[in-house]
Amino acid sequence: MAVATRGTASNYLQRAPSPSGLAEVLDVILDKGIVIDAYVRVSVIGIEVLTIDARIVIASIDTYLRFAEAVNRLDLTQTEAAGLKELREGGSKRKTEGAIEGAKEKLTPGGDKDKEREKSKS
Amino acid sequence: MTSTAAPTTSALFIYGVVAAGAIPPIERQGVADTAIYAVTDGGVAALVSALPPGELRIRRRDLLSHLRVLEDAFAEGTVVPCAFGMVLSSEEAVRREFLEPRRDELLALLRRLEGHAQLNVRVAYDEDVVLQEIVAGDPTIAQLREQTRGISEDAGYSLRMQLGELVAAALGSARERDGQLILERLASKAADIAVEDPGDDVLKASFLVAPKDADAFDREIERVAEEQAPRLQIEVVGPLPPSAFATLERGAWES
Repeated sequence: MAVATRGTASNYLQRAPSPSGLAEVLDVILDKGIVIDAYVRVSVIGIEVLTIDARIVIASIDTYLRFAEAVNRLDLTQTEAAGLKELREGGSKRKTEGAIEGAKEKLTPGGDKDKEREKSKS
Repeated sequence: MTSTAAPTTSALFIYGVVAAGAIPPIERQGVADTAIYAVTDGGVAALVSALPPGELRIRRRDLLSHLRVLEDAFAEGTVVPCAFGMVLSSEEAVRREFLEPRRDELLALLRRLEGHAQLNVRVAYDEDVVLQEIVAGDPTIAQLREQTRGISEDAGYSLRMQLGELVAAALGSARERDGQLILERLASKAADIAVEDPGDDVLKASFLVAPKDADAFDREIERVAEEQAPRLQIEVVGPLPPSAFATLERGAWES
């Protein structure tokens, strides 16, 4: 997602001038900014659905068992554990992707092109 | 007010508010590929586009269009972003229901946000590194870990649950501690902050940064990243139009 890294801690600091993923875009434009009173505003089909769906968090595997497995797999003699990438991607990232899917399903019903593009990217 | 019942054919999607005449026209197309223009009243201008008649299905690209229009305006000057999905029935409604009654507040927001940028910061653990810290720092966890290693999943189920529960709790308090620490560090260089629930991450927050503090904020983030490597990973998105800091007083609509 980040387009540029710099500094001595470059691996640990990622910068992007603008959001790239749908979840990041939603973070900036959904429920952020001026809200005009619903009484005077005209509603747009789809937005209410989107607001709810973007908040859906897909439950991952049972948290406790996941952590037990994670610490058991740690190789305490190595600083750079082998399963690091795998673990991280199975963790917090999965949740985000779940949320993205949730929003996307509603946004692009019936095999919209956006969906195809998203798939081919990953 | 009867203008809310106006036909949807003239409905206007509202992106944000700028000072009248402050920015050049925005060339980019907006939601549903519509042209952006300004509806001006008393020194403030709403950036709008006329939605096509009929039912509108919001797609992913429409969300992005909203953001890009705000980014274009932000690149040219100060913009007070609207949340996605604000639609009024006509130019008349934009003036009478929005710009006119809210003029003082909008002008105050334009002054407050002038030149300021929003930076969205997300901080996550490198889970392996932090889990190692937790095992090393807690004899009970270390012992349970030894006990559950190499025994079958069924046989060790309750021990594994116990271990996982302890680890989850330790991770939770570590997140809270680190999140607060980083928030304080970065907040010292920001004009305002908006903190969100970080979920499984350590910190998720938006920072409003004044032009004079932009470099200092930048350096502080780099310092934190450097000090905390390799246990933390920091993602910074921005400079963004300051949507998290564009809010009007609640309740004033009713007056």
